[in-house]
Parts: sequence; structure tokens; C-alpha cells
Amino acid sequence: MGTYLKLAWRNLWRNRKRTVIAASSVFFAVFLALAMRSMQKGSYDFMIDSSVRISTGYIQVHAKDYWDKRSLDKSMVLDPEVISKISKLPDVTLVIPRFETFTLVSHGNATKVSPIVGINPDKERTILKLQEKLVSGKYLTGSSKGVLIGQGLAELLKVGVGDSIVLYGQGFHAITAAALVPVQGIIKLPIPEMNKTMIYCSLSYAQWLYSAPGRLTSLSIMIDRPNRLDEVRSEVKKFFDDKYEVMTWKEMTPELVQSIEVDSAGGIIMLAILYIVIGFGIFGTIMMMTTERTKEFGILIAVGMKKTKLIMVTTIETIFISLIGVFAGIVISYPILLYFYYHPIKLTGELAEAMLAFGVEPIMPFSIAPGIFIAQFWTVLLIALLSAWYPFRYVHKLKAVEAIRN
Amino acid sequence: MKSVISLTFIYLISICEFIFSQTAKEVIQKADQLMRAKSSYSEVKMTIVKPDWSRTMGLKIWSLEPEYALIYVTEPARDKGTVTLKRKNEVWNWIPSAQKVIKIPPSMMMQSWMGSDFTNDDLVKQSSIVDDYTHKFIGEENIGEFNCWKIQLTPKPEAGVVWGKIVIWISKKEYFELKADYYDEDGNIVKTFTGGDPQKMDDRTVLTHWEMVPVDEPGNKTILDYDKIEFNIATDQSFFSEQNMKRVR
Repeated sequence: MGTYLKLAWRNLWRNRKRTVIAASSVFFAVFLALAMRSMQKGSYDFMIDSSVRISTGYIQVHAKDYWDKRSLDKSMVLDPEVISKISKLPDVTLVIPRFETFTLVSHGNATKVSPIVGINPDKERTILKLQEKLVSGKYLTGSSKGVLIGQGLAELLKVGVGDSIVLYGQGFHAITAAALVPVQGIIKLPIPEMNKTMIYCSLSYAQWLYSAPGRLTSLSIMIDRPNRLDEVRSEVKKFFDDKYEVMTWKEMTPELVQSIEVDSAGGIIMLAILYIVIGFGIFGTIMMMTTERTKEFGILIAVGMKKTKLIMVTTIETIFISLIGVFAGIVISYPILLYFYYHPIKLTGELAEAMLAFGVEPIMPFSIAPGIFIAQFWTVLLIALLSAWYPFRYVHKLKAVEAIRN
Repeated sequence: MKSVISLTFIYLISICEFIFSQTAKEVIQKADQLMRAKSSYSEVKMTIVKPDWSRTMGLKIWSLEPEYALIYVTEPARDKGTVTLKRKNEVWNWIPSAQKVIKIPPSMMMQSWMGSDFTNDDLVKQSSIVDDYTHKFIGEENIGEFNCWKIQLTPKPEAGVVWGKIVIWISKKEYFELKADYYDEDGNIVKTFTGGDPQKMDDRTVLTHWEMVPVDEPGNKTILDYDKIEFNIATDQSFFSEQNMKRVR
């Protein structure tokens, strides 16, 4: 076997130019497929991650019926011990209590309906990251009695930091919730619809305003490995009886799941087309390489070389070429993808506006999930091996006399 | 003796004829007028019943038909002083804790008013059960001790009404509107109003206990108990102003 490998390796470098051309056709194939898949996977992960951050969390616990009714009457009181137990589960990175409802917000003659979210300001530093989005004013603390409002909302209401706005809504058990509250900070949210409406305040203030001491509307759970979603969900479920619901983002935002599925189907078709082009590229190169060596094969067979051995060597050659191409592809594309992973491409113009309207930040993120590299490795290697069928047949049918005369 | 009986019989027949000669529309009109006046003042306890909680609010209501109404909340303590003003098709709220008048934006009109089963829109809706519907007798039924006409109301095509139909039970003697079933356009029952506890209020006897039950939300209902009603009080449009919202007690 060692001899075959040595022979194959030497054969490769006998004609350097030929090998480099063949390997680079594989290389480009891997490179293109990787870049495309990385971009797709990256944008899905990004969509999911940004969506769960601002809305639901990967997993959410709420009282039964809350999800349908969205009423404060369906809020819940959670045992702090249960919360700390959940946060210690494997894969759980953070457990975020939130208190969400709607309010009328008014200043001067302007009145709007806005979602208001009571948050734990320290925990949300890594999740909502509102402190980074502050345009003016101060970020919340646990005992803040002020609110952060979106920049668009501030413009509509014509308020600045330090002005007071009126909040008016219904609290727990329909008790009137009304207050004159100072604007503590103005935040610029990337999604226009949120920028024009959102109000954030501290959890304790929201619970006071809505006469719901100690109550939460939801407990969002962030996890570090999204593929462990279902396992974590069933772990979390063990803490709760049927008065509660434990839902995953897939159940809470089915429209996101669907749009990803549709887009991914399109991506797979594109990828299939790319593979077909790549496949013919590799096949063409190998075919050329084989026919060019007709005379050589003929002489080898004439002097007593066994066809099976010859087939073995040519197959190993094909594998070598593919491996060189695949490894070169991965080695070269990895640092590039890594760079774009940390520095996603910022989009501008019409495309950016379309994405914003869709509620997604206009950047083109990349993924460096090992899965896509492994998948490309095997797929391209498989194509190369299928192409090895040609030299196999060719050598098998070869007639030494004709081949030498050729 | 025989002639007395026959006379009584003739008399009875003529009464029956008199009663049955009324159209369904006239019956509805009489029932409507019983509760209505050009203006009125009332004190009401509103109880909101939900599957797992309930609470009672005290309300003072001034109204000037058909376009103006002002509702002042007297209890519970946290809501005391809140005022709702209906002016034509707008709803305004005075919030004492923020010292601020807010106009309810159109997007909030379908939201519940003060947590009850009434929406803001219910407050401003101006459809008339007399003018916006065509009326038809569909039977007679007893509700409690009251013998009632059962009348079906179908909205006129041009009327801006959300209901597919309304079935109302009106007592024959007193013209009490004892029950009303509201149906949507697909013929499903949406909510039921029932009235009871007739009492003398001011110059007339009216029902003072009302229950509104939304059929699709089991366990929910809103109860109105009138403690006091004064009909045709002296008031005018200037009473129903933004300034007065801050002043009424």
C-alpha cells in the first residue's frame, strides 16, 4: 500500500502544472461553497439570535394563557430558588426576567400606544445591550424611576432627557396604572418600528406602576448552543406544572422559522447548482489528465503492470488532488471567514432599508460553525471520488497496443 | 250573566287587538324611551368578574343624549378621580395622578374600558336600536315572572353596526328590556345582556341590575348596579368639556 501511495504522490508531481490546475478547481469549489454556506448560516443564526434577544429568548417560561391573551392578569410569581436552579442548568447562559405590557404614552398633545418593558438593567447589559444604544442620558439601574425611550418615539413626543411623560394603562387586575415619569435616557434602536415605540424601565418600577409586586410576564432563557434547544427545554419544564408554559422560539415565532426554511431551500438549490458546476470542473480536469496519459498507461500495461494496480494508483491520485484542494480551500477560507465573522459586512442602500423594514439589522454576518466545513469537505471529496470513476473505466477498457500507437 | 261574560270577552279581545296592533318597532321604541332621557345623572356600581378575581368600582355618570357623557370614578382609592369624557366619537381621560388629559387614540378604541367587558368603542357607539334596525316579532317567552315579546333586530344595510342581528326580550306590561343576545355576522352569539331588579328611580320604574356576559370568554362578566338615576337634569354641552373633567367630583 505504501508503494501505491508513494507512486501516486510522485505521479502527481511529475506534472506539476496539471496537478495544480486540478487541485485549484477543487479549491475554488470548496472556497465558493464555504463562503456561500457560511453567509447563509451566519445570517440565519444572526436573525434568530437578534430576534430572541429583543423578544422571546431561546426558551421562555410564562403563565398558561399568557401567550394568547397577553394580559397582566396572566402574569406569574416565580420562586427565586427555581430561577437560580434554572440558571445553573448546563447550556443555560442567562435567565432574564421581564415584565411586558402596553401603555398609552403622552406628552403635550401627542399620544401614542407603546410597548413598555420592565427589565433587569444589569442582566440586559449583555442581552438587549441598551447601554450601547444610548444616544443621550443615563442607562437604568435596578431602582431607576425613569424610563428609556426610543429615539423615534422621543421625536414624535418632542421630549428630551429630563422631560416627563405620562404613562397611562391598565395594571394587574385592571387597576389604573398612571404616572408622570421622567425620561432618563434616549436610545437608538436599529429596528425602526421599535425605535418609534419602545419604552424600557426597571423591573421594580414596572411592577410598582402596574400594581403587580413580584410578578413577571415572562422568564426568558438564553442558551449558548442553539442545537441543544429541545434538551434544555425539557430540563426547564421539570420545574413547572401545567399552570405554566415553556415554549421555544420556534413555537413563539413560527414566522421566523418559516422565512428561514424558505430562504434555506433557495440556498440549497443554489448550492446544488454550484456543486454541479464544480462537479463538471473536477470531472473535466480528471478526464483531461487521464486521456493525456494514454500512452504512458499503454506502455505500463505492455511491460506487465496489472490493470487493478494502475486503477488503484490513479484513484489515489484523484483522492490526493481532491484532498489538496479541499484542505487548501478550508485553510485559506477559514481566516477570511473568521475575519468577516468578527467584522460582518455592513449593508447600505435599498437592501439595507428592506432588511430594516423586515426588522433585521442590515449586516451580512458569517458563520464559522464547524458543521459547514465538515459538510463541504465530504461533499467535495465525494464529487472527486465519483470523478475517479472515469480513469477507472478508462484504464479498465484500455488496450495496450492501441494505446501505445495513439 | 251571559251578557256580562260576552261583554268581558269582547272587551278582552279588543285589549288583545290593541296590544297586538303594536308593531315590533313601537315596542322597541317604548322600551328604549323608558331608559332614555334628554339628559341623566346616575350613580353606578360596576363589578368586573373574571375567572380568578373580581373588583367593584363606583361610578358617577352624567349624560346628554346622544353625544355627550362624563364618567367619574369614585372608588377604589387608586382609581378615584379618574374621569372619562365621551364627546361625539372621541374618548378623553383625565388622569389625576399625572394631572393630564389624554385623548384615547383610535388604535386603543377596541381596548377594554377600565378592565371591564366594555370597550372604549362601546362608549361612543351611536347606533340606535330603534332607527338602525328593522324589527320583527319572533315569539313570546317568559323570563322570570315577566311575559315577554321576543323581537329580532336586523341591521339596516346602511347602518354602521357590527352585529349580524340582535334578539331582545321585552316584557309586555312594563316594557323592560330583560335580555338581549348579540350575534356576529356569522350568526354566532357574542354577548348577552340581562337586566333585572326593577326599582323606582326618579319618575319611572326601570331595571337597575345589568349583566354583560361575553360568550366567548367563560367566567367573565361585567355587572352594573344603579343606585340612583335622575332623568332630565339641567345640563348643557359646556358641562362636557376638558376643563370640567378636572373639576367634577
